[in-house]
Amino acid sequence: MTLTDKSPDQKPMTDVAGPAHPLAVLWRAVTTIWSVPKARIGVVMLGIFILGAVFAPLIAPYDPTANDFGRSEDMTAAHLLGTTAAGQDVLSQIIHGARVSVFVGFVAGLFSTIIAVLIGLSWGYLRNVTADVINFIVNLFLVIPALPLMIVIAAYLQNGGIGMIILVVVITGWAWGARVLRSQTQSLRSRDFVTAAIFSGESSFRIVFREILPNMTSLIVGSFFGAATAAILAEAGLSFLGLGDSTTISWGTMLFWAQNSNALLTGQWILLFAPGLCISLLATSLSLINFGVDGLSNPRLREGAKR
Amino acid sequence: MSATETQAATLLSVQNLSVVYEPTGGEPVHAVSGATFDLGRGDFVGLVGESGSGKSTLGFALTGLSKPPARIGGGSILFNGVDIAGMSHEDLRVQRQGGFAMVLQSGMNALNPVRSIRNHFFDIFAAHGHVGRGDREARAIELVGKVELPAGVLDRFSGELSGGMRQRVSIALALSLEPQLMIFDEPTTALDVLVQHAVMNTIRELQKSEGFTAVLISHDLGMVLEVTERVMVMHNGLIVEDRPAADVLVSPQHPYTRMLLSHYGDPRAEIVEVPGLAARGAKRAPAVSHLKTDFVPVSDEARARAAGTEGVQRREGRAAREAIVVSGVSKVYPPPRRGEKPVRAVNDVSFTLEPGASMALVGASGSGKSTIAKMITGVEHPTSGTITFGDLQVDRIKRRSLKRLHTEVQMVFQDPYSALNPLHTVEYTLTRPIVNFGGLRGRDARRRMLELLETVGLTPVEQFAARLPHQLSGGQRQRVVIARALASDPQVIIADEPVSMLDVSLRAGVLALLDSLRETWGVSMLYITHDLLSARLVTDQIMVLNQGAVVEEGATASVLQNPRDEYTIRLLDAIPHPTVGH
Repeated sequence: MTLTDKSPDQKPMTDVAGPAHPLAVLWRAVTTIWSVPKARIGVVMLGIFILGAVFAPLIAPYDPTANDFGRSEDMTAAHLLGTTAAGQDVLSQIIHGARVSVFVGFVAGLFSTIIAVLIGLSWGYLRNVTADVINFIVNLFLVIPALPLMIVIAAYLQNGGIGMIILVVVITGWAWGARVLRSQTQSLRSRDFVTAAIFSGESSFRIVFREILPNMTSLIVGSFFGAATAAILAEAGLSFLGLGDSTTISWGTMLFWAQNSNALLTGQWILLFAPGLCISLLATSLSLINFGVDGLSNPRLREGAKR
Repeated sequence: MSATETQAATLLSVQNLSVVYEPTGGEPVHAVSGATFDLGRGDFVGLVGESGSGKSTLGFALTGLSKPPARIGGGSILFNGVDIAGMSHEDLRVQRQGGFAMVLQSGMNALNPVRSIRNHFFDIFAAHGHVGRGDREARAIELVGKVELPAGVLDRFSGELSGGMRQRVSIALALSLEPQLMIFDEPTTALDVLVQHAVMNTIRELQKSEGFTAVLISHDLGMVLEVTERVMVMHNGLIVEDRPAADVLVSPQHPYTRMLLSHYGDPRAEIVEVPGLAARGAKRAPAVSHLKTDFVPVSDEARARAAGTEGVQRREGRAAREAIVVSGVSKVYPPPRRGEKPVRAVNDVSFTLEPGASMALVGASGSGKSTIAKMITGVEHPTSGTITFGDLQVDRIKRRSLKRLHTEVQMVFQDPYSALNPLHTVEYTLTRPIVNFGGLRGRDARRRMLELLETVGLTPVEQFAARLPHQLSGGQRQRVVIARALASDPQVIIADEPVSMLDVSLRAGVLALLDSLRETWGVSMLYITHDLLSARLVTDQIMVLNQGAVVEEGATASVLQNPRDEYTIRLLDAIPHPTVGH
């Protein structure tokens, strides 16, 4: 069913496209994601969180660290979400907390994706002993339960702040993505155009990163959003357990302090509810965007698979 | 098949049928327009056309299998007097028993790998309830018997059957509904040449004995003319010819049909000629140009321009000097499953590809011809024996020297759809080997790239350079693949079935290009194929492989005219030949 090959050798010359400009490629990716309704909701939600994080000092009614308000106040007009046991404004904390979550999510997601790409692709392409060694290491990381490992590392590094949390999340988060990318690399490796690249005298490095990698864009983008979601949840989890720097303001530390002050027993359920809702909404927005990334999978790649 | 006498002689009547593709966000495409024809009971009709002609779309529409974005745009399909064009899915499903069935090209891959063949039959019997519980086993055995398979097949799983057997099973499954109309969509295209022939014979005999009406959709006019009584030729969504097979053969009306017919020939004939490819006599001294002036792709102008550049002068200095010497080469693969014997893909093969010679390596699939190509190009290492190219010991070549080998030995791939990276422009694809092997940079590399495009006849070169593979047709893609193989100025080109994926009308052009490049550039060519006609057209020597061993070799013309080995004769007999028909 090759409708595109209607009149071979006489194709109209009008549809000639020059080499795609990188910005044009990015724009096309954005419009593709936007065209999926679920992903559109995700993009809007994520946009709100990012704007909130960037402009937090302008939006937040008070300084989030100021503790000169009444303690454990209920929701009032002055403090829309009440105040904490230490006398801080909860709404301001929520808005500022978005900064940490968004930052950790993107940076840790980015780093673990980069590691996953580097390891996954070379692991999938190589067929020698190195591949076996990588296989052993990746399996090791996959087998060890992530949360206990995170807790152990975080406890060992002692209150290192955001940098420490990013490091911990990256160390424990790359293996799954590497595994997925490896299997896709293995299937692309046997395609003729890869063999043809060997015949063109290309180095292995170039084959992996110029021939194979661009064909996996949607998988890598998907893997990034997955990793970012995991990172946001992990940050919240570690901070809640008190393993982060408890003086930074993030949704996780808010939960930690709320738990410490028995907020639920004093009827201040909003102290637990608000940061919890924010964490789940941010994670949801990324997952929704991932629906659009599924649809992003390159039509030209599908054309190569047909026949 | 009961009560056929009481019903009208016309089984299917198609009136002014059109099928439209409406892709989301794209222009609607009329794949089929204004199709009008009748099928009588027991007719065997061929539907021929090249890719994109709308033949499969029409076939799907006839059986009510059109799926979005395809939509029946107008007209009617009267099956036994009932219009099925507007029928609902459930009505259609019920219709399939005693109605119509379809066998697909990939039908052999449609079997569920975890259910036995028996279960496939029983599922259909259960779904339609037309075979009583007690009779099912007997009926299944009877059905597989009809497609010439033993009853033991019922206990097997699809993974244990060969491609030909699986396609037979899918035909038997289609038969189990006792259809009045069977549509075969390229039923043998994915099969090996020899198997193709056998399956086609089965279909022909079944049609005669069962008396169902059959439509055979195929790109291969030769095969269709051989097995069917009436032929419809489709071109750009229109039925351009609809006449008895014998008439089509003797006096084709439409120029398109004439063009298709002109591409068939008998490799056994004294002189074989197809349009665009000059005749090759029985005796032919290498390096003498036989190309006639009607061959377009390499224009004289382009040649003159190319001759003025440094690259081609260098080429003339080194027109294939070294031979590939293969001696006593065997390749054994480890057993596919534990407890089985190792697979001997190539068995003690020796030959020499002289500089500037063109040699064909023919055989059915599994004869080891592609394995030999892989070993010559250093992609795989032989288990025993030696391969040398000049001073290079190819059989034990290391990754480091591979680049040196590929400067001189290049490959043209079978499938132009997967041999080009879908994300790279033609310019990038061609520039890479120029940079890697020729050491040219920037403007020099670009000029060389444009020269290559001109050499393979892709003009205007600037426009083609900027294109992505999906903007090219199959024939154009294969030209890019050939241009890439030429980029390193090789001495030897290995062409692995370079035209088997292309439409008939495009094959001659690509073959002529390969042949002329060999003549003008003085490269040696190893042409790997199962198609003896094309081997006859472009090679001087031939080697016939059967199960990894050479069974016959010699000058192409004399081997094909006087084949001695039984296997060669079988290969020759399997070629569909329009003159044999009814």
